[in-house]
Amino acid sequence: MSSSNETAFRLGLYRTMLVIRVVEERLAKSHQRGMIPGACHTYVGQEAVATGVCAHLRDKDAIFSTHRGHGHALAKGMHPRELMAELYGRETGCSRGRGGSMHLFAPEIGMLGTSGIVGPCILQATGAGYSFKLMKQDHVGVAFFGDGAVNNGAFHEGLNMASIWKLPVLFVCENNQFATEVPFESVAGNPSIAARGAAYGMHSVVVDGNDVVAVAAAAEEAAGRARSGGGPTLLECKTYRTRPHSEGMGDFTYRTREDVEHWKALCPIKRFREQLLSEGSASASELDAVEKEVIDLTEAAHQFAEASPYPSPDSATRHVYAPARASALREGSVQSTKPRELTFMKATLEALSEEMARQPEIFVLGEGIGVRGGNFATTSGLFAKYGPERLRDTPICERGFVGLACGAAMSGTRPVVDFMFADFVLDAAGEIINQIAKIQYMSSGRLEMPVLLRGCIGIGHAAATHHSGSYYSMYANFPGLRVVVPSNPRDAKGLLKTALTCGDPVLFLEHRELMGTKGDVPEEEYYIGFGEASVVREGTHVTVVALALMVHKTLAAIELLKAEGISVELIDPRTVAPLDSETILKSVAKTGRLLIVDEAFGPFGVGAEIAARIADSGFDELDAPIRRLNGKPSPTPYSPPLEAAVVPSIEMIVGAIRDLCAE
Amino acid sequence: MEEGTFLEWLKQSGDSIKEGEPLFTLESDKAAQEVESTDSGILHIPDNGPRAGTVVKVGAVLGYLLAEGEAPPVEAGEVKPETAPANVRDEVPQNSVAVGVPARFSSEGAATISAPASPRARRAALAGGIDLSAVTPTGSSGRIRERDVLAAQMERDRSGVKWVDVPTSATRRLIAERLERSVSQTVPVTITGRCDATGLVCLRNQLKAVEAVPVPSFNDMIIKITAGALHAHPKITGRWAGSSIQFPEAVHIGFTVETEEDLVVPVLRDVASLRLSDVARRSKELIESARSRRISSSEIRDGCFTVTSLGSFGVDAFTPVIQFPETAILGVGAISREAVSLPDGSIVSREQLTLSLTFDHRAIDGATAARFLQTLRKRLESPTVWLFND
Ligand SMILES: Cc1ncc(C[n+]2csc(CCOP(=O)(O)OP(=O)(O)O)c2C)c(N)n1
Ligand SMILES: [Mg+2]
Repeated sequence: MSSSNETAFRLGLYRTMLVIRVVEERLAKSHQRGMIPGACHTYVGQEAVATGVCAHLRDKDAIFSTHRGHGHALAKGMHPRELMAELYGRETGCSRGRGGSMHLFAPEIGMLGTSGIVGPCILQATGAGYSFKLMKQDHVGVAFFGDGAVNNGAFHEGLNMASIWKLPVLFVCENNQFATEVPFESVAGNPSIAARGAAYGMHSVVVDGNDVVAVAAAAEEAAGRARSGGGPTLLECKTYRTRPHSEGMGDFTYRTREDVEHWKALCPIKRFREQLLSEGSASASELDAVEKEVIDLTEAAHQFAEASPYPSPDSATRHVYAPARASALREGSVQSTKPRELTFMKATLEALSEEMARQPEIFVLGEGIGVRGGNFATTSGLFAKYGPERLRDTPICERGFVGLACGAAMSGTRPVVDFMFADFVLDAAGEIINQIAKIQYMSSGRLEMPVLLRGCIGIGHAAATHHSGSYYSMYANFPGLRVVVPSNPRDAKGLLKTALTCGDPVLFLEHRELMGTKGDVPEEEYYIGFGEASVVREGTHVTVVALALMVHKTLAAIELLKAEGISVELIDPRTVAPLDSETILKSVAKTGRLLIVDEAFGPFGVGAEIAARIADSGFDELDAPIRRLNGKPSPTPYSPPLEAAVVPSIEMIVGAIRDLCAE
Repeated sequence: MEEGTFLEWLKQSGDSIKEGEPLFTLESDKAAQEVESTDSGILHIPDNGPRAGTVVKVGAVLGYLLAEGEAPPVEAGEVKPETAPANVRDEVPQNSVAVGVPARFSSEGAATISAPASPRARRAALAGGIDLSAVTPTGSSGRIRERDVLAAQMERDRSGVKWVDVPTSATRRLIAERLERSVSQTVPVTITGRCDATGLVCLRNQLKAVEAVPVPSFNDMIIKITAGALHAHPKITGRWAGSSIQFPEAVHIGFTVETEEDLVVPVLRDVASLRLSDVARRSKELIESARSRRISSSEIRDGCFTVTSLGSFGVDAFTPVIQFPETAILGVGAISREAVSLPDGSIVSREQLTLSLTFDHRAIDGATAARFLQTLRKRLESPTVWLFND
């Protein structure tokens, strides 16, 4: 760098730190005046870290942060007015009023988001690193987090994955010595954070976090290493926040005024100004001019934000899902000339294989999905074709790799998480529910979340309680998720194809007892849209809604009931979210009777939802109460007679239909 | 009452019940009542006993009162909404007493309860014009389902014609009311008798031949002769007033006139004081004003007796309805030539007429009425004497 460039660079650092400081102080004032309806965590005292790290980042580099993210957003290039408008809850805010202080999104400049949850940003940056490596881009993923996050599983799982796959990631820990009011020493077995990075075989550096030049230098080296394939770096930046944890909170129960005054004296901005002056890089009047410009900029931003309109209430639920993509090859439009018999599993393998060939951004994460080809042969043969980067065997860290998938989806790839059994992924529930499901909305539709989460569900094979749960009702409860529960090979393939081409996160839940079952699958390519129930059997006396294995059991029951002259219409919703209640209603309008057969638990389940919707929109169609037949609400027992007792049997279905018809 | 809606048990299976204790509630005639036990014992409610809302017939077995240590019946059979199966009673153990819907409810008149109906059934009932209280639920829930309504609708459609609503006129409704009152407030009895009308026919032919103005109708002649007969048998005009019978001072006779829309009964006042020609003239006027709807209320008032004729339609005998509050009415049949056997055995062709007399049996005995009818017949057989002797 030439010396004039160097001077400009240093003045830039100075200005950025000032922007953060002045904006934060203005926000603190606004908070005090009640202009910020929610929380406000300022970055005062830590400006050198965001400024130093972002100094060497480009727009395409992706940063992720936590609750204390204003400084990161500004340092990455967000205009102060977008930040302020967001905190004031305005339409012009960076998240269009959906987020506030803890949910800042500006994907246009590589600010992929901050989170109100401590930890996930570490996994998301790891996922961005995975995307960049897979797509052979020389961008880096950066996670900013506090000392509080290093005791969280996300830190350990993320650092380990980044290290083993040499991902281009910077883990920037801002050790400000407290997590809210808890001193780091009191919760750290080994108070050296850098040492934890070393434990995962990672370059780890301790930096004076109040020295912007030192931070910038360390970040430059780390970013360079990452871009050139040298893998991740952990930067432990020792710093201190000089305002309370959050505006309005008391500050002196856990630290003293003297402590705070001591650190104020070490203010990174004051320190850098003195340095610039003593080096002769800039004159006092030059620096004063910068300061004046920043104050004016901030004031103008505040005025802009204050004058901005609030978002329209009728936009409140916009952007929960990605815009629908219409496929030309819809199920109905495909006439199969040569239907073949395939197993359920082979049909899904075909779908995955076709889409992987078409979309180089698809990669699969899971345990034993590489060379082995998956516990249920879900990826059989793909490793040989696509190699380890696209068929990634993971450590057993479900939360970690689901969080990684989240960050990957945010940064341009399409992860498929193959978690074998749905039970395992509960360890990642937070990543799915709090992050994956919410990011499209929180980013006001500027990020899509094409994540496929697949695994098997269902009772059978004496699998006992940790290999048999059906969790679709739970997932369907959360806006932002698509939940698919196919019952046959044809549907499974068509639905998986849609899952692999849509912009939404999809839970693709495959019943274990169906994986080996066979059925006709068209040779031609086809897609089955979500929210399109299938009428499996037409009938007139009673409507039965069933999913997955229960579709087959109900079909057997229908055969038995034929002799009694009972005619059953069987509907398979195929997707629980979205749920096609229209088709069910149409059927109930014909039959007047509705039974929902569901292997999963009754309380608060999909049957309850269907019943409520039909009772609401189809009240006058009903000739009898809506009935549900569910699995017993208990953990799944192991012993075969016990296991059988908790699942609806063909006999029970026959009885339930018969009783309902006799009502 | 024949059935009621079972609401709830007031005791539980296994409870020891004393005679007179309330046992269950039953809804009948829009009121719920507690039904008391008429026996003592240990209550046994079978699994398939009635549920809330089940419609149960009088006499249906709902449960059992068992003696100490006595086993409940093996298979009690279902409490069917329609009838209690006969075999249920057969299976009642020796000492036990069936707890059922007591027969004393059966004296309370027809039940109008309707069982609960599904929303779909209610919609179907509305669409099909079916009264839900007349629909029998046949399902296990005791609820009326769509199929029950459709069955009722099919039954109705099969058993009758499709009904088309044509609104009635106010006059028609008045007539209907009057007729209804007549049959509900009198004790009507009808007797018939035949008479020889050859004389009547000859007389009328003669009057026609001499171009009498106007020529009296058979009705006019019969009315005039009836007035005389009523004079001879005043009881026929006596009105039942409970503690007394009221007699009119003058006998006004009504006669039925069919108009385009309905039936009008103009009244000829004090017929005894009128000559046949007056009767003929007056009746002609009244008929005309009745048909042209100009008749005044005073012209249809105060009748003591009515003569009605269906003769022009070839009807012989019928059961006319008393013009309440009158006491009797005479129905005049058709006059037709018939072969008649004379006392000497010869068979001749004569004009014959059948008279039907309906009277309020409360005020008039059968013999009294028969005697009047006999007088009337005799007089009609010698009309000249009774028409022109005053
Ligand atoms: C998973 C989770 N647990 C608890 C919280 C509540 N919380 C918000 S900030 C915070 C302290 C975080 O400390 P640190 O990571 O050191 O960041 P700092 O606030 O010091 O910047 C806590 C506990 C949270 N947001 N997420
Ligand atoms: Mg901290």
